[in-house]
Amino acid sequence: MQPAASADPLDPLPLIAGRQDSDSLTRIIFTPVWEKTRRGWWFLFLLGLAGTGLLTAAITVTFKEGIGSWGNNMPVAWAFGITDFVWWIGIGHAGTLISAILLLFQQKWRNSINRFAETMTLFAVMCAGMFPVLHLGRPWFAYWLVPYPNRMTIWPQFKSALPWDVVAVSTYFTVSLLFWYVGLVPDFASLRDASYSRLKRIVYGIFALGWRGSSRQWHHHKIAYLLLGGLATPLVVSVHTIVSFDFAISQLPGWHTTLFPPYFVAGAIFSGFAMVLTLIIPARRILGLEEIITLKHIDNMNKVVLATSMMVGYGYLMETFIGWYSADKYELFSVANRMFGPFAYMFWLLILCNVLAPQVFWSRKIRTNVVATWIVSILVNVGMWSERFVIVVVSLHRDFLPSSWAMYKPTWVDFGLLFGTISFFGTLFLLFLRFLPAISATETKELYKELSEEHAEATAA
Amino acid sequence: MSALFPRSSNTVFRVVVLVLLATPLIALGTLYAYSYSPFYTGQYSQIQQVVQFDHRHHVWDDGIDCRYCHQSVERSPSAGLPSTSVCMGCHEQIWNKSPLLDEVRARYFTDRAIPWSRVHRLPYFVYFNHSIHVNKGVGCVTCHGRVDRMAHVEQVAPLTMGWCVDCHRDPESQLRPVEEVTSMTWAPSGDRPQLAHELMKKNDVHTRISCTTCHR
Amino acid sequence: MSSSGSWPEPSGERQWRSIEEREGSAELRAALEREFPAGAAELSDGIDRRSFIQLLGASLAASAVGACTSAPAERILPYTRQPVGLTPGNPLHFATALSLGGRATGVLATSWEGRPTKLEGNPLHPSSQGSSGVFEQAALLQLYDPQRARLVKQRGTPRAWKTFLLDASLRLSASAKKDQGAGLRFLLEPNASPFVADFRTRMAQAYRNARFYGYDPLADDNGPRGVQLAFGQPSDVQWDFSKADVVVSLDGDFLQPPGPHLRHARAFSQRREPARLNRLYSIESTLTITGMMADHRLRLRPSEIQLFALELVQELVQQPGLSSLSGVSQASGQLARSEHLKWVKAVASDLARHRGRSIVIAGPSQPPIVHGLAHAINAVLGNLGQTLQLIRPVAGVESGVASLSALADEIKQGAVEMLVITARNPVYSAPADLDFGKRVASVPDSIYHGLYEDETWEKVQWGIPAAHPLETWSDARAHDGTVSIVQPLIAPLFNGIPEVELLASFLGVIDKSAHQILREFWIEHGPAAAFEQRWERWLADGFIANTASPSVQAALRPDSLISAIRDWVKEQQGQVRSTPDTLEVNFVGDYKVYDGRFANNAWLQELPNPITKVTWDNAALISPATARRLGLERDDVVLLQYRGRQIEAPVYVLPGHADDTVSLPLGYGRSGAESVARGVGFNAFALRHSAAPWFDRGLIVKKLSRKHKLAVTHDHWAMEGRDLAIQYAVERFEKEPNALEQLRGPTETLYNPVNFDREQYKWAMAIDLSRCIGCSACVVACQAENNIPVVGKVNVLKSREMHWLRIDRYFSGTLEDPAVITQPVACVHCEKAPCEYVCPVNATVHSDEGLNEMVYNRCVGTRYCSNNCPYKVRRFNYLHYTQNKPKSERMLMNPDVTVRARGVMEKCTYCVQRIERARIQSRIEGRAIRDGELTTACQQACPAQAITFGSLNDANSAVARLHRDQRRYDLLHELGTLPRTAYLARVKNPNPELA
Repeated sequence: MQPAASADPLDPLPLIAGRQDSDSLTRIIFTPVWEKTRRGWWFLFLLGLAGTGLLTAAITVTFKEGIGSWGNNMPVAWAFGITDFVWWIGIGHAGTLISAILLLFQQKWRNSINRFAETMTLFAVMCAGMFPVLHLGRPWFAYWLVPYPNRMTIWPQFKSALPWDVVAVSTYFTVSLLFWYVGLVPDFASLRDASYSRLKRIVYGIFALGWRGSSRQWHHHKIAYLLLGGLATPLVVSVHTIVSFDFAISQLPGWHTTLFPPYFVAGAIFSGFAMVLTLIIPARRILGLEEIITLKHIDNMNKVVLATSMMVGYGYLMETFIGWYSADKYELFSVANRMFGPFAYMFWLLILCNVLAPQVFWSRKIRTNVVATWIVSILVNVGMWSERFVIVVVSLHRDFLPSSWAMYKPTWVDFGLLFGTISFFGTLFLLFLRFLPAISATETKELYKELSEEHAEATAA
Repeated sequence: MSALFPRSSNTVFRVVVLVLLATPLIALGTLYAYSYSPFYTGQYSQIQQVVQFDHRHHVWDDGIDCRYCHQSVERSPSAGLPSTSVCMGCHEQIWNKSPLLDEVRARYFTDRAIPWSRVHRLPYFVYFNHSIHVNKGVGCVTCHGRVDRMAHVEQVAPLTMGWCVDCHRDPESQLRPVEEVTSMTWAPSGDRPQLAHELMKKNDVHTRISCTTCHR
Repeated sequence: MSSSGSWPEPSGERQWRSIEEREGSAELRAALEREFPAGAAELSDGIDRRSFIQLLGASLAASAVGACTSAPAERILPYTRQPVGLTPGNPLHFATALSLGGRATGVLATSWEGRPTKLEGNPLHPSSQGSSGVFEQAALLQLYDPQRARLVKQRGTPRAWKTFLLDASLRLSASAKKDQGAGLRFLLEPNASPFVADFRTRMAQAYRNARFYGYDPLADDNGPRGVQLAFGQPSDVQWDFSKADVVVSLDGDFLQPPGPHLRHARAFSQRREPARLNRLYSIESTLTITGMMADHRLRLRPSEIQLFALELVQELVQQPGLSSLSGVSQASGQLARSEHLKWVKAVASDLARHRGRSIVIAGPSQPPIVHGLAHAINAVLGNLGQTLQLIRPVAGVESGVASLSALADEIKQGAVEMLVITARNPVYSAPADLDFGKRVASVPDSIYHGLYEDETWEKVQWGIPAAHPLETWSDARAHDGTVSIVQPLIAPLFNGIPEVELLASFLGVIDKSAHQILREFWIEHGPAAAFEQRWERWLADGFIANTASPSVQAALRPDSLISAIRDWVKEQQGQVRSTPDTLEVNFVGDYKVYDGRFANNAWLQELPNPITKVTWDNAALISPATARRLGLERDDVVLLQYRGRQIEAPVYVLPGHADDTVSLPLGYGRSGAESVARGVGFNAFALRHSAAPWFDRGLIVKKLSRKHKLAVTHDHWAMEGRDLAIQYAVERFEKEPNALEQLRGPTETLYNPVNFDREQYKWAMAIDLSRCIGCSACVVACQAENNIPVVGKVNVLKSREMHWLRIDRYFSGTLEDPAVITQPVACVHCEKAPCEYVCPVNATVHSDEGLNEMVYNRCVGTRYCSNNCPYKVRRFNYLHYTQNKPKSERMLMNPDVTVRARGVMEKCTYCVQRIERARIQSRIEGRAIRDGELTTACQQACPAQAITFGSLNDANSAVARLHRDQRRYDLLHELGTLPRTAYLARVKNPNPELA
């Protein structure tokens, strides 16, 4: 049978490369789970554990000493904590976008990467979720942000965006989790059936929820999956919109901006895709998934990155323009301070990483060059973090009364939390790669079927 | 090869799922209920005192006014506990041999304070003021209950913020003529709503519910 | 909102930013280096917690139970016999007095069941008039300081008080028999106490050859000599600034101690309102509080000021009817015409225009001649009896550097066998050349009566722990001579011995308490009749009425002045002008620790210096020009060499400082047993020389490679062209009275604003920038009233200071001669508060009377409120500043105010605890709170009466009137926050001739 490759003369990059059949696909996808644990995996895993240890230490200090162990001060009352929070939430956006929206738009190329993206989303949101709690002066009262009738007869303040955050983020996490799990069920089943050790079969079996692949089950599965997709779609927009309200509802120059919601969502997708690329490029290489996660996928994702980069760039442009157009001396100053103040290097770094670097993706050659892509994707991650830093810290450190201006200097705890969460994230991801199929086998096979049918038609005609 | 799961596992599975979902809900519910219960608010708990002072005898039998011992209740935030000299004022004359009063006499003559255990305790960030309540016609009994019927004084009101705020939002029903504040038995007579309304005017009551009324 | 630049750039001067920026030289790099110092890691609390606690051990507030309501069982301990007049739960107030520089300031102490928690000025007392300064406010912390000396010690080994008495009396009787105490010397803390005066006479009888010296390193002994020169008779001077239209200050910082600065501030500030605006010329070398208030300020090296005074005289002689000065003016001969001739002319003519309505005042650091000249000018202008009164000297021992060196010489000659020291830590504060420590150690029998085991304590044979003024009976006299009886608020906490008892013991009185001794003294010195009533009255008032020193008549007798000037001119011929590489050194008393006696007081250490805003340090102050010449910038450590001695000090570049002069604040670099004071700043006494205690040429400055990071709370000096602290010339104000219209009143809004007019009260504050002198008394008062913790240098460097009330200080105009303005900023209680709607848990909300309430126990610590506060007046407990605290200091806490724990936000509450007490009192009495009945802590302390608080719904209330004032404006008005605290713009009164 013909390879699905070069199915479309206008689009030489195939979605599935090589000469495949159902078995070969199964082999490719499940090998990483079946094969013996590699030494490299152990190395990375221990590295991740070490980082997680750092995280634990930082968290312990934070709870024991208080926020004073961070670099925060007056006027910079929010700093690394919120920066990290927004950054992680942003990263957690690719998953839902790819799964839900691309699903609804029936984009074929989503199939081989959606599992990656969704998993990453879950872990990113886990990391993000820590910060709002860590960040409180008295975390043991965090539950006061939840509305419930109490002995004090007091409700939360619904005008503030913070209680919404709680709801938005937790909802987002729940839905993503369900979405991810429902998608996994058939694969759990195949793992169950294909595993040799009884233990594995029992464990996978439990998670497979007794899946037998009957057409009825498929029918329900499809419906449930679609419904969840529908549910998830608005969340992609809502979560980061609400996160952006944390800033937009204030009156601080640099925060008080109606542009924030769309611009934060764009930024989120931007960083989300960048993170997917950062993870997927080494993974496909090491786990030998190149035939299923092809250059086509990378090419497409790069296009999304480029597009969102332009949107974000437009955001920066607008902020600057409005700063001038408002004729408000405080707005004007905050813009100038970003560009030329003591933290200017952060601003120019973000311009470099978020606006300039992705421009290389105009060239197809670079879009399909994994190394270049990988470097740019990392730059984008850095850039998005520094964007949040600029918004949070640089706006705060010089506001209305010059008398209260001050500089901000992070402590080891701040860095511990940042790199700790990154390691924690990595550790979880390694576990995922080891024990679960990184690519949805069922969907890939469907896709393969579709493709070869198309091909058949094409050749028939 | 044998089936991986026996038939029963479906049921088992369902039960497990159910339990997993139910546990947190039940836990939270219990905690919530507990926060309202006397176990948490400390209502009705018997507190041992070094001196077996019996309010029934002093208030009910002897009809001693609250203010005889709790002297600063009309002038100060704290109602004030009687200095030992107040006790001895009477008990130098009567019951001056009673073994029940050994402790009092001992401490009086050696000038050591009697370590009473607090019964009505508010958090350190709450600033309650007796004088204003008493002067606006809130009876002792309204918050402290029938002390004249208590062998051991116990806390009858929950003393939760909600409980305070309820009255501050709608004080009418809790008021009485200022001269009746220490009465344990006073009860409104005649047209209650009418009376309550008059008392609001007469005692010139303006309750406040701003946070700084109690938290400073 | 007002578009930028439209209104008003202070008298059209252009704003500039911190020096680093003004200099333009790689400003950002400089900034970055400043803000990311090398080895910054050690500043992180997570690591440096222990030393942090160690540093603060002496001044953390009472530990608070987290927020859990179910605490362990609580005991109530009623009195056995309740004191008469005491109501548990209500504070009592007692009148007493605190002395500084030998003069008393009357205070009222608030006492809760026997523990004093707050000091306020005594409204009836002439030196206080109800207000108080930083030292009065901070005295409480000193009272409770757990590091105070606790034991009588003989060479370090504890002894009983009785043992000392025995020992001392034996030696005394011995020396008395031998030679009437020829070897007996007293070194007293200067004081005018009638008891001590009497003690001295009686000692003189008992031991004919005993001698008394006094020492206070900042004592003004030039002043009296100047009076002597001018009038040929000794007398004290009482100034009345309320009568003066023109004030010329010759390095005379009359708004700071040891003078009656509270009274001066009160009188002076009364004349800073447009209607009766006075004009202040300040001729000074370093920028002072007085200089910040000046309408015209002339920077001169300290040594040039005498020259200025002489020139002024020569100009005045030209004026009609002032020829009587000619003698004096001729004495100085032909002076080299200086560059500031225009200045001299202007001042002279201004003075001549205001005869009998002007003041020329000289500072303690200026030589007698300058004082003499000042008095001569006052005399010929007819100011005597108008703006200044000469009064009979309020007795006391001469206590300047001269007296100490005399004693040092005596010791060197071995004439001293027994030395009794009650002066505060002279070994530390003595000029270096006297080597006083060695001298004291060489005295066979030395006794030191001190509050701390300080530098002096280490050198003496006998250390006697002193009772704090609030722990003991004694008496004292105010600046005008009014006598106060000092009564204790609490029994000595650390076995302190009252000075009265110590002194009495030398007269053989060893079995009486200070109380008895003092009563007996007053019984025999006064009509016996009805003593009890009078005594009670004295204690109730806090002073003895009609005991002020009578005024004396005196006429100008310039002969001795003239001859003094002639001598000076002669010796000038020999002198060489200071060459660029040797600078002039200028020793100044410190606004925060005085002469170092308050160095262990963490409130004062953390108080930003009113001028430099430096905390937890002192710094060598130099002018920008000099800094540029020597290639110095802030935080550079320099080596200061002078008369063969040298010290290292960090540099602070101070705009408006005299060129080629280095000002060294005294009182830091302590090495005693007090851990808060130890190692803070550098010790300028180590450079001070008894020959020239105040200023001198010949200082050499060498730049070292090291840097020392100064913890400055206010880094950015310019207003960035924003309408923040507004000051402008009075003419302009009269020309355009509605100029501030656009900076007040309601702003455009989509919502219909809340109407607060129906409430009984509508709390509001008004702060008059014209009156505010920036002395920072309000800041310490607020700290004492509201249990505000101290965070230590480490955290101030991280800009985490907790002061609810801060004083912003902005410069404008040129770097060399800037215009300065101070602006107290606390929570302004916006009617539309940005902090409120962003708090997720309703922890900060609005009261019906317009207070912006902060509910600590509801706060979870998101800190969003602070981010959204445009005034940045909110303070966050980043660490548990209030735990690990010594018992003694828990007693200091104000029981009416919650002690905040870690993780909650806090801020100014308008002293709501005072509002609620006043409210409940008034409600019980069935009346409304009267205007003025209720004062905030800052308002009560303020000597300049710059702060007013009250209800706007009472149209006649003081605050309501000020809110209607033409000068009223709202800070950041364009944001539409409708602040309840209004500011009144500062008006200046420049002399057109100097325009």
